[in-house]
Amino acid sequence: MSFSAWLELLASGLITGGIYALVALGLNLQYGLMRILNIAHGEFLMVGAYLTWMAQTTLGLNPLFMVPVSFGVLFVLGYVVHRLCFRRLTATSPNLDVFEARGLMVAFGLMFLVQNFASWMWGGDLRGYDFLTEPVHIPLPGGTAQFAGNKLMVFALALLFSGALIVLMRTTLLGKGVRALMQSPTGAQLMGINTRQLHPLMFGIGLGLSGVAGALLSMSYTISPSMGEPYTVTALIVITLGGFGSMGGALAGGLLLGVIEALGMHFTNPSLKALLSYVVFIAVLLLRPEGLFTRKSRKA
Amino acid sequence: MNARQFLIRDLLVLFGLTGWALTLPAFASEFAVSMALTCLMYVALSSSWALFCGTTRYLSLATSAFFGIGAYTSAILLEHMSWVQVIGLGSLVAAGVAVVMGMAVLHLRGTYFAVLTFGMTELIRHAISYFEKSVTGTVGRVLMVVPDRDTVYFTVLALAVLAVALSIALRRTRFGLAMLGIGADEQRAQTLGVNTRRVKVAGFALTAAVAGAVGAAMSVRWTYIDPHTVFNPFIGFQTVLIALIGGAATLWGPLIAAIVFSVLAETLRLQVPQIYMMSLGLLLILSVLYLPGGLASLRTESFLGWRDGAKAWWVQTRDDLTGETRRRKLREKSLRERRDVF
Repeated sequence: MSFSAWLELLASGLITGGIYALVALGLNLQYGLMRILNIAHGEFLMVGAYLTWMAQTTLGLNPLFMVPVSFGVLFVLGYVVHRLCFRRLTATSPNLDVFEARGLMVAFGLMFLVQNFASWMWGGDLRGYDFLTEPVHIPLPGGTAQFAGNKLMVFALALLFSGALIVLMRTTLLGKGVRALMQSPTGAQLMGINTRQLHPLMFGIGLGLSGVAGALLSMSYTISPSMGEPYTVTALIVITLGGFGSMGGALAGGLLLGVIEALGMHFTNPSLKALLSYVVFIAVLLLRPEGLFTRKSRKA
Repeated sequence: MNARQFLIRDLLVLFGLTGWALTLPAFASEFAVSMALTCLMYVALSSSWALFCGTTRYLSLATSAFFGIGAYTSAILLEHMSWVQVIGLGSLVAAGVAVVMGMAVLHLRGTYFAVLTFGMTELIRHAISYFEKSVTGTVGRVLMVVPDRDTVYFTVLALAVLAVALSIALRRTRFGLAMLGIGADEQRAQTLGVNTRRVKVAGFALTAAVAGAVGAAMSVRWTYIDPHTVFNPFIGFQTVLIALIGGAATLWGPLIAAIVFSVLAETLRLQVPQIYMMSLGLLLILSVLYLPGGLASLRTESFLGWRDGAKAWWVQTRDDLTGETRRRKLREKSLRERRDVF
């Protein structure tokens, strides 16, 4: 294999990995902060993708314009969902274990609700549209590598949003509050951090990120009501790889998983892709449940 | 009622239901029998699920894996063996897989366990479809020799009765009490001398055995099986949903919910499948939020509780909207200030 073919393979892995990272960051925000394992996360990604598709085909809007719009719509949706379901759940659950189990069940319910709403509303067909499909040639020492323009842009935007979230977490007072809540909920509350405001806000931001990922995905892949579930599973794998609650870990884990999948598919067989990711997932969960990149061992 | 009277009551109810279900194929229509078959399948699956997962509070999503393993065993062996042997082997293979799986994952609790069992189910499904595609060269299998409808019906009925009878019997044994103890507080149970690891693996294998037998019996109903139908995660989800909505810790909850669901499914699914699934999701959310003990825990007090909750919510919203909350806060503040001055 030549150098440029290697680069092309790695880059295509990174491009898928960028999307994985973006989806996983949203899920990680919800699980790491609130212990809500939102199985319905991928379904909201699908809603974002359908919103973009609808705006593009019926109103003729530029998909790029829909990226912030779908963030906004899903942010509001997430805020409302948190207010309606998870707030009551937090109030009525006797301890965190029970809350986690019940939250998982509520998320399953949301998954059924949203997925079937989409297939009832938009039908079960594959949908798509063309956007920036012409290839971009990048000259390299060992020949030229070429990528579809939309995929490169998707990658750039995914990295941009992931970076923005990480910067938000690291530098602002809001991010500091969120990180404090992750470390010790009681301690943070004693320092005057308002969970009643922060929790819905962060749940909303998590869903908003999945909406962005959906909008980006619809630019380069076909969409269908059942597209969400594989992304939920991938996001789960990524946050296990990166460690629950660690933002940088989720970004690195997403990119890593994308590369592993691309390499594995190239050297074995494309139909092994799902098998491969489950093997990675189970191996990591069994051998290193605290994540690949965490040094300090947290109680799992 | 004391424990003995409870036992007699449970056995009588089970006896009555069984007798009624036994005579069903004699007078009911084809459609009603097939509906009853689905219903019995979910009674067996969710009762056996609740038997382990309801008592120990380990949320397993692997039911569809055991179901599929049973179905595949039956599809492969049906031409060479008798019906009873096939069912027995199906449940044995599923139980064997459960023992291996349980050894690996039962030390993890909560969400980790749920997610891992789900992941393993998907792994088994993908592994079998890959194996079928690359080694046998086909995606699905056609079942040539199929027993008649009544045999399948009575087998599934027997399995459902077995699952309920097992839950009645096990709650009164040391084993059942050990599982309850693990659900209440695992560390305490361990301290009190329960071999938690062995109990958990045995309970998990028991659930898997019933699910495998049901899978083996139900596979002949489809006559054509492929990994996507028999390992369908939805079978596992619906089992969990039925058990939780009915009340996982109760004996009759899963049975009641299974009947309700099968009727709902057959009437709604044919016309508007999406509406059925949406109402399923909504019911799940509502039952987790407002009736965490399940349908079987529904009492007059729960209605009274909901009424009081709704009333309190309405009063609060009204006060918020009319500005009463703000005025009350101001009043309280001025009262406090007055107290401080004097």
